Amino acid sequence: MAVGELDFRTCPVTGLKIHRPAERLIKINAVTAVVFLLVGGIVALLIALTRWPAVHLLPAVYYYRLLTLHGIAMLVAWIIFFEIAAVYFCCTALLNSRLAAPKLGWLAYFLMLIGAAIVAITILAGKADVMFTSYVPLKASPWYYFGVILFAVGALIGISLFFASVVKAKNEGTYTGSLPLVSFGVAIACIIAVLTLAHGAIIYIPTFLWSLGLIQNIDAAMYRIIFWGFGHSSQQINVAAMISIWYLLSTLTVGGKPLNQKVCRTAFILYALFINIASAHHILVDPGPSAAWKVWNTSYAMYLAVLASLIHAFAVPATVEVALRKKGYTKGLFEWLKKAPWGDPGFSSLAISILLFGVMGGITGVIQGTEQLNIRNHNTLNIVGHFHGTVVAGTTVAFMGLTYYVIPLIFQREIISKGLAKLQPYIYGIGLVLLSGGMILAGMFGVPRRHWDITFAATQFPMSWDPTVSFALGLLGLGGVIAVIGGAIFIYIAVGSLLWGKKTG
Amino acid sequence: MAEGKGGFEAPGTFVLAIVFLIFFILFYFLNWKWLAGIWHVG
Repeated sequence: MAVGELDFRTCPVTGLKIHRPAERLIKINAVTAVVFLLVGGIVALLIALTRWPAVHLLPAVYYYRLLTLHGIAMLVAWIIFFEIAAVYFCCTALLNSRLAAPKLGWLAYFLMLIGAAIVAITILAGKADVMFTSYVPLKASPWYYFGVILFAVGALIGISLFFASVVKAKNEGTYTGSLPLVSFGVAIACIIAVLTLAHGAIIYIPTFLWSLGLIQNIDAAMYRIIFWGFGHSSQQINVAAMISIWYLLSTLTVGGKPLNQKVCRTAFILYALFINIASAHHILVDPGPSAAWKVWNTSYAMYLAVLASLIHAFAVPATVEVALRKKGYTKGLFEWLKKAPWGDPGFSSLAISILLFGVMGGITGVIQGTEQLNIRNHNTLNIVGHFHGTVVAGTTVAFMGLTYYVIPLIFQREIISKGLAKLQPYIYGIGLVLLSGGMILAGMFGVPRRHWDITFAATQFPMSWDPTVSFALGLLGLGGVIAVIGGAIFIYIAVGSLLWGKKTG
Repeated sequence: MAEGKGGFEAPGTFVLAIVFLIFFILFYFLNWKWLAGIWHVG
């Protein structure tokens, strides 16, 4: 056996060669992601119970503070730690190869961890009540911006490792031809990530200097445009990564093979070219940019990214259908759907992710990205309903589904409480339908986002709302509670399996 | 199956996609209608 071979083990289930140093990094990043999911989930419960008028739990200052923490813990830490784990998996196990520089992977991990910890502590200390967007002239402690920059540098190192490992694998001939589709999708996610982090550096470094008093002024309009090149684009990394995981789950759960790889790859390329431009929809009511700029970016270019999502949303279920028809479920139009492995949490997560991402996240996104329609929805809860449909019901559910496979394949542990695991995606999914649905409905009636008390009860001019709003916010609260229960079950199963699950390797 | 010849190998998915598109079109149209209700032109 060659010396380098000692660094590998072969997965007894899939036959994949697993690079042990990469495996250790995958494990630590995945576990850290789940820890931040726990933090974000606890905070989510408190926020949902505050926006539910019948409960209205938190005082104003803690509502805004914890809302800031929720955004950072969920949109940044949970998602990106998990994505880095997925990135390392796709450039090693799927390419039959090794991670180019594992020590750099650890450097990336600690930078991200320290950065996220600094940000979280600064928020909890009350020094950064600026929301996820930290719009100037709201000013946080310099530690907040420093933590974000540290995290971003770590993530950039992790992404660079992906590209270096792909080149290494190609040079060593561990794979031939094009990258496998899943790795290709992750490569597109990494390209978008580089663009995203560049925007982050352009805006966060001067804002950091501004918070230190070294720069006198940051233009608020300029900040918004560049921030959203970072803030929304970071969610596009999630979309590309999530869809890669859809393809991976379709293979792991039913043995699916993409029907037409060229079409799927073209759709991924459309993301790389056009999805960042979708960020312009955040600027649709800003007075600075021209109407022509807004309409080109959102009503033309953005639709090419939407086209890509429609292609994937057709290609993945079609892959599943063809695989199940090959197994003999050919009766009528939908026997394959009836006989699909709905008791496999990986498969049910895949189905829920596709359905909710498309219906709750996708359709609302297109509507909000249309300049005229955006006027009705801008800064309402409708927007929050949209991105809980994409990032939570889409991305998080897909990541949860993959976790049910990562635990036995990478951590070599059996899943505990299999009955509960079967139910978990459905509980979480139902919670999210109510949560996002309540937000979308409330937003349609003009209920603002990021608002502690929409009744203005303590003022001299209290505001009254259509009775439907109470119903919608009740749905939001109830859905939030159910989703948090579903999330808690997931964390219990994931962590419990690592601690008490039977060893398989 | 040979690559590029998938087409109607997935008729169930095709029907689901059409249902999704119809819902998409209806909801998009309704949003314009609701906009027209609050934003009177002329």
